[in-house]
Amino acid sequence: MSAGPAPRPLLEASAIHRHFEGLRAVDGVSIDVLPGRVTGLIGPNGAGKSTFLAVLAGTLPASAGSIVFDGEDITSLPPYQRARRGLVRTFQLPSEFARLTVLENLLVAAPGNRGDSLIGALRGRRYWIGDERRLVERARGLLARLGMAAKESDYAGTLSGGQKRLVEIMRALMLQPRLLLLDEPMAGVHPAIVGEIAAYLEALRDEGITILMVEHELQVVDRLCDPVVVMAQGRVIGRGDMAALRQQPEIVDAYLVG
Amino acid sequence: MDLYVAALGFALVSASVIAIAAVGFTMQFGITNLINLAYGVVMITSAYVAYALNQLGVTIWAGLAAGAVCGAVLSYLLNRFLYAPFQRKGTSHIGMVIISLAASLMLTNVVLAIVGPTSVSYTQDPGPTIRIGAMVLTTVQVLIIGIAVLLMLVIHALLTLTRLGKAMRATAANPSLARSCGIPTGRVIDGVWLVTGALCGLAGTVAAMNSDSFAVSNGAGYLITILAAAVLGGAGQPYGAMLGAVLIGVMTELSAAAISPEYKEVVAFGVLVLVMVLRPQGLLAKVGALAPAG
Amino acid sequence: MTYYLTTLAVYAGVDMIACLALSLQFGTSGIVNFSFIVFQAAGAYTAAVLSLPPDTANGGFQQYILGLEAPFPLPWIGGAVVGGLLALPVGLVVLRRLRSDYQAIAMLVLTVIANTVITNARPFLNGAAGLSLVPAPLAAQLDTGAVGYQYLYVAITAACVVLVFLIAQRIVDSPYGRTLRAMREHEVAAGALGKHVVALKMTIFVVGGVIAGLSGAILVGFIGLWAPATWLYPETIVLFAALIVGGRGNNVGAILGAVLVPIGFFEATRFIPPFGPPGLIPALEWVAIGSLIIGFLWWRPAGVLPEPRHVFPPTSPLGTIPARGRR
Repeated sequence: MSAGPAPRPLLEASAIHRHFEGLRAVDGVSIDVLPGRVTGLIGPNGAGKSTFLAVLAGTLPASAGSIVFDGEDITSLPPYQRARRGLVRTFQLPSEFARLTVLENLLVAAPGNRGDSLIGALRGRRYWIGDERRLVERARGLLARLGMAAKESDYAGTLSGGQKRLVEIMRALMLQPRLLLLDEPMAGVHPAIVGEIAAYLEALRDEGITILMVEHELQVVDRLCDPVVVMAQGRVIGRGDMAALRQQPEIVDAYLVG
Repeated sequence: MDLYVAALGFALVSASVIAIAAVGFTMQFGITNLINLAYGVVMITSAYVAYALNQLGVTIWAGLAAGAVCGAVLSYLLNRFLYAPFQRKGTSHIGMVIISLAASLMLTNVVLAIVGPTSVSYTQDPGPTIRIGAMVLTTVQVLIIGIAVLLMLVIHALLTLTRLGKAMRATAANPSLARSCGIPTGRVIDGVWLVTGALCGLAGTVAAMNSDSFAVSNGAGYLITILAAAVLGGAGQPYGAMLGAVLIGVMTELSAAAISPEYKEVVAFGVLVLVMVLRPQGLLAKVGALAPAG
Repeated sequence: MTYYLTTLAVYAGVDMIACLALSLQFGTSGIVNFSFIVFQAAGAYTAAVLSLPPDTANGGFQQYILGLEAPFPLPWIGGAVVGGLLALPVGLVVLRRLRSDYQAIAMLVLTVIANTVITNARPFLNGAAGLSLVPAPLAAQLDTGAVGYQYLYVAITAACVVLVFLIAQRIVDSPYGRTLRAMREHEVAAGALGKHVVALKMTIFVVGGVIAGLSGAILVGFIGLWAPATWLYPETIVLFAALIVGGRGNNVGAILGAVLVPIGFFEATRFIPPFGPPGLIPALEWVAIGSLIIGFLWWRPAGVLPEPRHVFPPTSPLGTIPARGRR
C-alpha cells in the first residue's frame, strides 16, 4: 500500500434502505467504492445484493438513503441519466438485444452519434455516417480483442450464455463508463468461459476502470476483487479482503444460515 | 334524491352482474397470466344460447345452467386449442393480447353470422316489484343479486377449502414451483378455464336477463366494464374484482342517473384510465401493471 | 372502370401510408398502438371541418364545429398536426409506466370510447351521421367530377406515399432506428444504456400520429364523408393484420401488407357472388382476417418480408467504409 492521501470514493452510498410490501430487502447499507478497484459484493441468496445494485443503478428507487457519484447526488435520477453520467450496469439475466446483430448491440450503446435522434435521422445518411464509421471501428476493436469479430453480424439472440455476457460487458464499455456495476457476470456462464471473462475483467481493471461486482463464484471474487463487502439479510456484515473475511466465523455462519 | 337511491338499487344489480363476470376474468388473468379479450363475446354467446332455450319455453334455471355450460365449454376450448399452444411456444404478453383480440374478432363474427345483428329480448316475467325504501327492483333483479352473492361465496369456498382452489392459488403465485411440488398444473389450468368459463357464461346470461334487449355488439361494452372492475380491484385478485365491481356498478349507475345512460361505458373507461395512471396495481395489489413487460 | 381503379389506387395509397406509420410504432419501436384508427379519424375529421363551410350551409342538416372553408393544403396540414397533437395526451397517459399488454388494452378501450363519445356528442362532429359533403381539395378551381381530377388525386396521394416512405426509411435505417429497435427488444436494458425510453416512445407515437392524421385527411378529401362507423376498432386490427402478414419492422413489408390485406383481401372478396343472408360475407371476412393473424403468428411470425439484417461492410485498408450493404 503506497503512502499518501486516500483517493476520494467514486461512489458513496449512505444508509440505503429498500422496502417493498413489508420486506426489508436492503436495510441500511453504506458502501464506498474507490476508483480503480474491483469491489466485490458477496453474500448468501436473499441477502439483498442484487436489490442494492439495482438501487445504485436507479432501476429501483431507494426507500431511504443517498447516493453520491463523483461528488454529485444522483439519488433521484432515473437509470438513463445515471448511465449518461458514467454509471452503467449489466443484468443478471441475459439482456442482449436479441434481434439486433452483435455489432449493432455495441453500436446502439455508444453516445455521441449524430444520427441517434429524430432530426439527425431525417437529415439522412450523409449527416451521421462519419460518426457511425468511427463507432464501428471502435466496436470492432472491442470485438476483435475478445475474438468475437467473426460473430459481428450474428443476431445477439443466437449466442451462447457466455458470449451474451461478453457482449453485454462490451456494450457497457461503449459508454466509456467510470463505474461498471456487474450483476453476477458469471451467472449462467459455462465454466470454461468463466476464466475468459475473468481475464477480461482483470485487464479492464488494469486499464483503470472501476467495477462493483455482485458475484457468487468465490474463486472469481478471490482473483479479481479487493476489497470485498459481505451482505446478509439486507445488511453489511463484513468488509476487507477475502483471506481475512474467511477467518471470521460470523461471515462463514451467515453463508450457512442465509 | 329518490332518483339517486333508486340508482343505488340498480347499482346493486349492476354490481352483481359485473362481479360475476369480473371475478372470472380476473382469475383467468391471475392464474394463467392472460388477458382474455374474448371474454365479452363468450358472455354474449352464452346469453344467446340461454335465449334460444328461453324461446323454447324452459325455466330460468335451465337457461342459467345452459349459459354456464356454454361459457365453460367455449372457454375451455379457447384455451386448449388457441391460448395454451401459443403460450407453450413462448409467445410474449403482447403477442397473446393480439391473439386473443383476433380470437374475439373471429368468434364475434361467427356468432354475428349465425344470429344476425338485430337485438333480441328475453321473454320473462319480471315478477312482482319489490320496494326497499326508494329502491324499486323486480324479482328477477333481486334474484340476480342473490345469484351473485351465492357465486361469490362458492368461489370463496372453492379457493379456500378445496384442493383445486388451493392448487389454483399456488399456480397463480408461482407456476414452476407449483409444478415441482407435484401439482398437475395442466389439469389445474383446465379447471380454471372451466370454472371461470362457467362464471363468464352465467354473467352473460344474467346480463341479458337484466337488459331490455341485447345484441352481439354489446360484447365490447361488457368487456370494458369488466376490465375496469378487474383493474380497479387489482388484476388477478378475485376479492379485488368483487370490490371493483361494486364500485364500478355504483359509479356507472349514479352517472347514468346524473348525466345520461349512454355514457356508462365512458365512465367505466374513465375509471380504468385513472386507475392505470394513479394506481396501476389496483386497490388490492398482487401482480401489477408495473411488472416488467414480457 | 377507370373510377374503380383510381378509387382503388387512392385507398391503396392511404393504407400504405397508414401501415408505414403503424410499422414505425409497432414494427420498429414495439408500441402496440391499438388506438391507431383514432388518429386517422382525427386527421379526417380535422380536414373535414377545416374545409367544410360553416354548419349552417346546405340547409344546416349537419352540426359541427369550425367550418372554415380553408383552401388546400391547409386541411391536410391541419389533419396531420391534430393527429400529432392528439398523440401527446394519449401517449403521456398510456406509454409511461404500464406494462405492454396493459398499454395495448388501454388503447383498444380508448378507441371504443372515443367512438361512443363522438357518436353521442352530436354538436361536435355531427354524431352518428358523421360529416358529409366534405369539399374535395381544390374543388373551387377544378372540376372534381372529371377523370383528370381523379388522376390528379392519385398522383398527389402517390407523392405522399413516397414522402412518407422516405421518412420511414431514413428513420429505420439510421442509428435512431437502431435505438428504437433496441428499446423494442429490451426496454430496461436500453434505459440502463442511457436511452430515454419515454421520450423515444412519445416521439415516435407523435410522428406516427402525424402520418396517421395525414392519411385520414387524404381519405376524407377523396370520399367526401366520414362517420363513426368508418373507424370502429376492428379497422386497426386490419392494419395490424397487414403488418403481421407483410412483415414487421420492414417498410417494404408494410407496403406489401397494405396491398395484400386491406386492398387485396377485401377487393378479392368483393368478387365473390353474394350468398347467404346479408352480412354473412363481411362476417366471414372478419373471421378470415382473424385466421390470417393467428396463422401467420403461428407459422411465420416475421411476415412475408422480415426485418432486414443490418450488415456493415468490412473496413477497407484505407479506413473508409463503402456503401453499406443489406443481407
